[in-house]
Amino acid sequence: MATTLNIQAWREELFITLYKKTFPASARYICKMGGTFDDAKDIFQDALVIYYEKVIAGPAQINNSDTAYLLGIARHLWLKRLKHNDLKRPLDNYDFEDEHEQAASANAIMAYLETAGQRCMELLRAFYYDKLAVKDIAALFGYAGERSATVQKYKCLEKVRVTVKQKALTYEDFLE
Amino acid sequence: MRTSLNNIKRIEDYMAGRLLPGDKLLFDADRILNAETEHNVLAQRHTYTLIEKYGRKKLKAEIEAVHQQLFTNKKYRNFAQRVLRLFS
Repeated sequence: MATTLNIQAWREELFITLYKKTFPASARYICKMGGTFDDAKDIFQDALVIYYEKVIAGPAQINNSDTAYLLGIARHLWLKRLKHNDLKRPLDNYDFEDEHEQAASANAIMAYLETAGQRCMELLRAFYYDKLAVKDIAALFGYAGERSATVQKYKCLEKVRVTVKQKALTYEDFLE
Repeated sequence: MRTSLNNIKRIEDYMAGRLLPGDKLLFDADRILNAETEHNVLAQRHTYTLIEKYGRKKLKAEIEAVHQQLFTNKKYRNFAQRVLRLFS
């Protein structure tokens, strides 16, 4: 992972490069397979997320080029979507109320954390999602060293965990 | 670190499989005997899931911003036209 201090600018540059190198080929494929521009956009953006999680912030080692790998993910996602659309019809009567309730609760917690706990969420994102090195996180967030950044990580986990417990409880009360 | 933070670290190490076999056994017992521990483990698991969702949501927003830039900024007009022509 890059050690640049401005990680967001670095990511922007990375995505622009990947878009320019790979989106035209991916869009051509989806167009040929009957998809629209919006399909091509959705699929490619999901492919970029997977690529980021597996390659940039993940353990995957790539032998062939980035472009080929990213194209492969996009193709796979598109075929999966076609198959899924075929299968969707008989499921129209499926009762998804339970899933729906859980999602509503998770969304309520997320909305709260995005406003009240944004600094903590950004720190936790750097640790667990972007998987940056601790020394980079310390520099990015202005901590004296790796130890302070790590202690702050646990403080933030505690803060979010308290929120999860409280919100889960109030939500249950609300439902009953 | 204060005790409550050490407890959080301990749950993290437990979930990541980083505890020694003896410590893991003790922790498993604690989960059964102590409802508070079990409750904390579940809430912490939920917390990691939320962090992943948050990370994904923010990343998607960054990617969408790049998309908008590529399809509205004159600087990238050739690129945008090359893609849009496919669908016309």
